[in-house]
Amino acid sequence: MKWFDTDTFREILDSLVRNRSRSLLTGFGVFWGVFMLMLLVGGGQGLKGLLYRNFEGFAQNTGIAFTDQTSKPYKGFKKGRAWNMNYEDVDRLKNLVPELETVSPTVSFWGRSIAREENSFSDAVVKGVRPDYARIETPKLRYGRYLNDSDNANERKVCVLGKKVYTNLFPEGGDPCGQRIRIDGSYYSVVGVDWNENSISVNGSADEAVTIPLNLARKAYNQGNIVHLICFTAREGIAISDITPKVRGVINRAHYVDPSDEQALFIMNTQLIFGIVDNLFRGINFLVWLIGLGTLLAGVIGVSNIMMVSVRERTTEIGIRRAIGATPWQILGQILSESIVLTLVAGMLGIVFSVLILAGVEMAMTEDGILKAAFQVPFSTAVVAALLLAVLGVAAGAMPASRALQIKPVDAMRDE
Amino acid sequence: MALIELQGINKTYDNGQPLHVLKGVNLSIESGEFVSIMGASGSGKSTLLNILGILDNYDTGTYHLDGRLIKDLTEKQAADYRNRMIGFVFQSFNLISFKTAVENVELPLYYQGVPRKKRHELAMEYLEKMGLTPWADHFPNEMSGGQKQRVAIARALITRPRIILADEPTGALDSKTSVEVMGLLKQLNHEDGITIIVVTHEGGVANETDKIIHIKDGVIGNIEENTRHEAWGGSVIK
Repeated sequence: MKWFDTDTFREILDSLVRNRSRSLLTGFGVFWGVFMLMLLVGGGQGLKGLLYRNFEGFAQNTGIAFTDQTSKPYKGFKKGRAWNMNYEDVDRLKNLVPELETVSPTVSFWGRSIAREENSFSDAVVKGVRPDYARIETPKLRYGRYLNDSDNANERKVCVLGKKVYTNLFPEGGDPCGQRIRIDGSYYSVVGVDWNENSISVNGSADEAVTIPLNLARKAYNQGNIVHLICFTAREGIAISDITPKVRGVINRAHYVDPSDEQALFIMNTQLIFGIVDNLFRGINFLVWLIGLGTLLAGVIGVSNIMMVSVRERTTEIGIRRAIGATPWQILGQILSESIVLTLVAGMLGIVFSVLILAGVEMAMTEDGILKAAFQVPFSTAVVAALLLAVLGVAAGAMPASRALQIKPVDAMRDE
Repeated sequence: MALIELQGINKTYDNGQPLHVLKGVNLSIESGEFVSIMGASGSGKSTLLNILGILDNYDTGTYHLDGRLIKDLTEKQAADYRNRMIGFVFQSFNLISFKTAVENVELPLYYQGVPRKKRHELAMEYLEKMGLTPWADHFPNEMSGGQKQRVAIARALITRPRIILADEPTGALDSKTSVEVMGLLKQLNHEDGITIIVVTHEGGVANETDKIIHIKDGVIGNIEENTRHEAWGGSVIK
């Protein structure tokens, strides 16, 4: 017997289709299992995507250092002293901590009002950064460009707008580059729009920020040598947490602050945060697969069980088939094939339905033509699920088929 | 050698307590005969039929079918013999309920690997012979007992077997239909020369056949030649 020919297939299909309610009940278990598994996997992934959006653009191995009052007395100074970092600290870090890749100082000013013609936005954060800040928080430029070295060196009055600032100042939309806006009484040219929406608010949300060259900000806001934040990334393969003590030591010592004073120089470590989120989702993923596979397994056991009952029910049919010349292997093949076809068809339907629903969710999650998070299961997962189904189909059919093998043609006549 | 040749067949069922059902059966049936095997229930006639139909094994003795020894066959060989040599007609028709009349008739050819179109044509041909053409696409539960039995006979015939084994073929039919069915079997025997073996406990049915083999307590009793069909008071069924 060929392993596949249309005749055999018609025979299998006939016996599935003509026993409709039995097939439907059997298939539903598998359908539901696959459907739930795919939906859970897609949902979990989407949720993860939504959460990660909050960190979008942030380099994962970033440390952000800022000062507070000292909490320990040191070298004759009492505790509770206020202090600031300065630009020499940036050079010190560059020179003394070779593990660092980028060291970028910033200043920021909260609650600033920005205006253009009759439009205004009153709660912006003005950030003065160097162009290399892009390596800490990658801008997602919708229009124009980011700040460059020339902007900084020449103290050009240019700015990059955050998404929320842009939509408030330019409600009509369109490319704002070259237009002028007013920040705290001075006019700036817009050179770009950053579409980032992360909510890491160490330096203010990206969408509420207006970014201007650092050297300009220092002068415009009278900051002199004061640095508000020093952001740094570590070289490939180096963990931020391993070099924080060194960074703290270098800066603190230069300012007569206890090198171990963690309150005086707070260093935020994004790696740690990412790690926590990663762990969270590893846990969620585990649960998703556990529940999904469990449901699927229950479905498959259901198939096996119903096939078992149906084999018993079909004793006469199988006996007749045997009496008129079917070999045991043909019967075995038929029961197995019925189980595989049923599992595959039901499973594929489950995949298709879950993909449709996830596509619907994605459609609802799309804003301005940009997808917030991918809910769709990757094609490879679907393929794996399909293969899994084929295997489970065979497994589900094995028991009933071996039971069917034992039916003797005589049983058909006994069963009267 | 006769078409069917049984020599000293013994069969014991062992369900907890051994039950000696056939005690040395000797029987030979020539090709083209129309015989009935008669006996009360428990006489071993069904067991004999199962052995003749290669549906069951026997313990000792020999069974030659068309000159070939039927013993220790593999399931595949047995299935093949059943398919090509023997057609079965059962008391309860044993049609597959979710298949139409024509599909039921086709089924033996499906297991022979005959292409769909050809076996459909053949099945229609045999249904026509049985006068069932208008019922070809009906399911068994839409047909009367007589019609179902005729479908079963068409199914038994489609592989052009040498032998038809009929186990109480009229057992579930009223007397009028019984006469029709027996007439049909007689016609097949006369016109196509198919060897027909009918197992029954009804004298009237046995009377329709040319030879009546009595079986009692697992051994063959007397064998009546019944050429004039008057052994049981003429051809009256029931």
